[in-house]
Amino acid sequence: MQWVETEEIVRFNEVDEWGMAWYGHYMAWFEVGRLSLLRRFDLLPKQMVDLGYIAPVINLQCDFKSTVGSGDRIVIRTTVAKPEVAALTFKFEILLKENRTLLAQGETTQVLLTTNKKMIYRLSGEFEKRVRNLVNYCSQE
Amino acid sequence: MKKNKRNNELEEIVNNSEAMCEFLKKMIIETLKLEHVTVGEIDRYAPLFRKGLGLDSIDALELVVAIEKIFNVIIEDEEVGKIAFASIDALAHFIQKKYEQG
Repeated sequence: MQWVETEEIVRFNEVDEWGMAWYGHYMAWFEVGRLSLLRRFDLLPKQMVDLGYIAPVINLQCDFKSTVGSGDRIVIRTTVAKPEVAALTFKFEILLKENRTLLAQGETTQVLLTTNKKMIYRLSGEFEKRVRNLVNYCSQE
Repeated sequence: MKKNKRNNELEEIVNNSEAMCEFLKKMIIETLKLEHVTVGEIDRYAPLFRKGLGLDSIDALELVVAIEKIFNVIIEDEEVGKIAFASIDALAHFIQKKYEQG
């Protein structure tokens, strides 16, 4: 499986009263990872809309393994699971850059809708081609 | 897939509404791993989504894949899905019609 890595620094406003990155903020980091992967395949949200599609998240799961504080450097790793149905499941790992300690791992599932909110059960045309490129890239050994 | 190459047994089921409904109930239970639902509990005329069996959008995607695999019948999107998944009975009729068209 091929992962794309992106780096971030934990900001002061991202930690809670206990000095740890606030749990909800991990979702924003997932989003950073998702966008950096989608960008490579011309599938950024705006580009999807241009093709006539949107992809809302319908499921989110996250396990928190370790904590991280303000000023720490993190690595966001992102990939896409090989889909069995017309949906996209992104997998994420957040690591401490310094020693690659796993901080959190999670996944999101997105269904595919036309811009007029009609769910699609199979992909076609240019959208299918770009999604296939994304999936093939991520499925590489 | 050409009609003459299709499985005779499957064709027999498709052409018999009663058998087809039973087959689809089993297919739904197996595909979606509905461990606590039995064939007898599924009403042939009840809606499959929300109120009826309570299936969701991911369930629909899984059923679409199973139906394509078994019957070589394609359900493209939600619009077609609304008709096809209205009930077990509706799904049986939908597949029968598409199957005949080959």
